[in-house]
Amino acid sequence: MSKYSSIIINTWNEILTYRLSFVMWRLRTIFQLLTIYFLWHSLIPKSQTLFGYSQSVMLTYIVGTAVLSAIVFSTRTHEIGENINSGNLSSFLTKPISYFGYWFCRDIGDKLMNISFSIIELFILFFILRPSLFIQTNIEYLLFFLIAIVFGVLLYFLIGAMLGMIGFWSPEVWAPRFIFFILVQFFSGALFPLDIFPKPIFALFQFLPFPYLLFFPLKIYLGQISFAEIAQGLTVTMVWIFVLWHGVALVWQKGLRMYTAYGN
Amino acid sequence: MGIKKYFMLWWLFTRITTQVALQSRFGTVIFLVGKLLRFTFFLLFLVLLVSKTKSIASYSFWQVIFFFATFNLLDSIPQFLWREVYRFRNYIMRGFFDYIITKPISPLFRCLFGGSDILDLFILLISVVFAIYSAGQLSVVTFTGVIVYMLLIINALLISLAFHIFVLSVGVVTTEVDNSIMLYRDLTQMGRVPIDVYQEPLRGLLTFVIPVGMMMTFPAKALMGILSLENMLYAVLFSITLLFLSLYFWQFSLKKYASVSS
Repeated sequence: MSKYSSIIINTWNEILTYRLSFVMWRLRTIFQLLTIYFLWHSLIPKSQTLFGYSQSVMLTYIVGTAVLSAIVFSTRTHEIGENINSGNLSSFLTKPISYFGYWFCRDIGDKLMNISFSIIELFILFFILRPSLFIQTNIEYLLFFLIAIVFGVLLYFLIGAMLGMIGFWSPEVWAPRFIFFILVQFFSGALFPLDIFPKPIFALFQFLPFPYLLFFPLKIYLGQISFAEIAQGLTVTMVWIFVLWHGVALVWQKGLRMYTAYGN
Repeated sequence: MGIKKYFMLWWLFTRITTQVALQSRFGTVIFLVGKLLRFTFFLLFLVLLVSKTKSIASYSFWQVIFFFATFNLLDSIPQFLWREVYRFRNYIMRGFFDYIITKPISPLFRCLFGGSDILDLFILLISVVFAIYSAGQLSVVTFTGVIVYMLLIINALLISLAFHIFVLSVGVVTTEVDNSIMLYRDLTQMGRVPIDVYQEPLRGLLTFVIPVGMMMTFPAKALMGILSLENMLYAVLFSITLLFLSLYFWQFSLKKYASVSS
């Protein structure tokens, strides 16, 4: 266990090595949040609703995306592809350590760092902007919200790991990640809640894994979906996790057969 | 070295980087699709929004699309021209910058124009088509408006150039480049919609201090005939001042360069 906690601590220290870079990264996330926040703040006057969202509910959703992004989207799995391409994977294969356990611990280190900073930032922004946010008090909704976040974290890790393993077959590991990032930004609901789309289109989105990263947990937090819909959403997420879990295992086995330790 | 020689050099660098980019056809196609999706997704968002609200900050549908097309134009031209800035951190970290400064060409030119990104031409072309088409749907377009629009686009590019020089300079002093350039990109994203959408004091801040409005909204407003002469003059003065400051900072950063990576 201590080796895995060392990985988390090492990742934390690694991030702090390039402090200015990290500060710039956090500044970026603040500006990204403010862009969307002020856009929706201006689009929905205080006493009106747009797409069924009041200003406070929409702003809660937007602030929520910032918090959940720090939890769900903080990842180091983008390094897996480079790790394979450079041949550094070889050294992992000879060590008594789970390869995906290693990357999951890297993710945890990254997430802890981003969550810590985002909490501080949001407190500061909260005192400056003083937004009227919706606070969920129903324990059941909060419990399901936490479960949905855990599922979202797992889902994102598995997708990230799957994308990283493209490195077994191609040196082009950034292009698929670029398109994945754009798809995630849109279909996870990072820019706006997905239910502003017409119902048939929104129904199709629900079969994708992306809405379960941000949109679904936030809808639970806002208490805008029934318990039956929560059960349905959690079931779809579990199916995706099951499929991706086995997919990652299969691709890993096939990838290792292709691996020639080229480069190292 | 004359401008013609520098143009030839830019052409040579661009040909080489294009050959490198096209080496992986899979990557090229994926990047192009990604850029197209990003454009389409936000366009879709705007269409959804305006279909519900009928207007954004009292701008009609086609005016909003024209603002968005102008933003994309001003987002993709710098990416096309100054893509080398995105590769600069690697040069600093690996000591390649030492090699650049020993060459008999301007290091600033090499770090800015060292290889344009042909993949950005695709979105650039789409943006031009959208800008022309949406401008055609506006009833207020005049010949003078078009000329002023183009001049303010050039002015916005000068501001963007100054920011790219600042990023390079910060990179020379601190090795931080990637997040700085992306911070610039994130800030300019606020200009995807007309800056009038935002409330004061943010609107004023985005117009006159962080010049997102000056870059992204002023040209479109000029074409629509709703930009005052004072604002135009302020924009020109601002861009010239910022460019001089960035060049000064570049010179300062070169003096601070420690060449520790080589």
